[in-house]
Amino acid sequence: MGHDAEGGGPRLSTAFRRTRGGGVSAAFHQVEIELLRSLVGQLLELVRGQPRPRDPQVSDDPLAMAFGLGDDPSRPTDPVVLRLFPDGYRDDDEAADEFRRFTERSLRELKADSAATVLASLEAVGVTDSATEDMSKREKIRLRLKPAAAQAWLRTLTDLRLALGTRLGVEEGDEEHWDSLADGDPRRHIHDVYEWLGWVQETLVRALSAGLR
Amino acid sequence: MTTAPAEVERPEADDLVVPDTPWSTIVWNDPVNLMSYVTYVFQTYFGYARSKAERLMLDVHEKGKATVSSGTREAMERDVEAMHGYGLWATMQKVGDRG
Repeated sequence: MGHDAEGGGPRLSTAFRRTRGGGVSAAFHQVEIELLRSLVGQLLELVRGQPRPRDPQVSDDPLAMAFGLGDDPSRPTDPVVLRLFPDGYRDDDEAADEFRRFTERSLRELKADSAATVLASLEAVGVTDSATEDMSKREKIRLRLKPAAAQAWLRTLTDLRLALGTRLGVEEGDEEHWDSLADGDPRRHIHDVYEWLGWVQETLVRALSAGLR
Repeated sequence: MTTAPAEVERPEADDLVVPDTPWSTIVWNDPVNLMSYVTYVFQTYFGYARSKAERLMLDVHEKGKATVSSGTREAMERDVEAMHGYGLWATMQKVGDRG
């Protein structure tokens, strides 16, 4: 199916398809909805630049750790933050700093707005925090996105993959490396999530591209 | 935005009539972004036909970078910011500068 989904974990969601009116829809399992909510919530914190307390009690969540939240937004030394908000100039630090001063706030707002839109669409399908206690339900949830929400999903899926891919150190053509990791290796789990997000995004892009020249 | 009065040791007339040095927006390859997505961004943001968008995407993928637009410095700042908004890795430079 998706060109980059080889080696990914079990996938329950269906591909995005176009709907009447220019929107798209796909079905997700509750577990996947919960996973997306968790990831997008962390992304939202990251792009809003709100430092996250380094609570050792949450350190057993490899996905939370992967985001490495808590960087100072004005000085992106964290490679994830630097990838989300890259320099606008090469070989000219002064111009790059000025570009960052003029653009980073609005870029953070754009990314935060997109993430918030995605969260809202995930919440609109009726999954609440208590749903995590009810994961035995096997039914899928159909998510319908209007065009504007679909654009927010595109941006947010990209930002999630940039964050996870940068933290993992993903490189082109390195699939064998991730497949060779032990099943219990948290990096393998994160990479599975990364690949699944790529598959979801691929189907979303294809659905949206179908209407272009 | 003003520019520092540097490099004025050669006040040749040809230099003075150039109103604004053209700039360009460069998109760099990265291992994360999907080829289909990069093409989609080039189509929807720049309004490029699919064939041109795909050619630029392949340049990014195979050559490591591609010049995706050119114009005034202000216009390129908008394009670079937009590319960052889409999660693409883009920088701007004066036309002719090495990348």
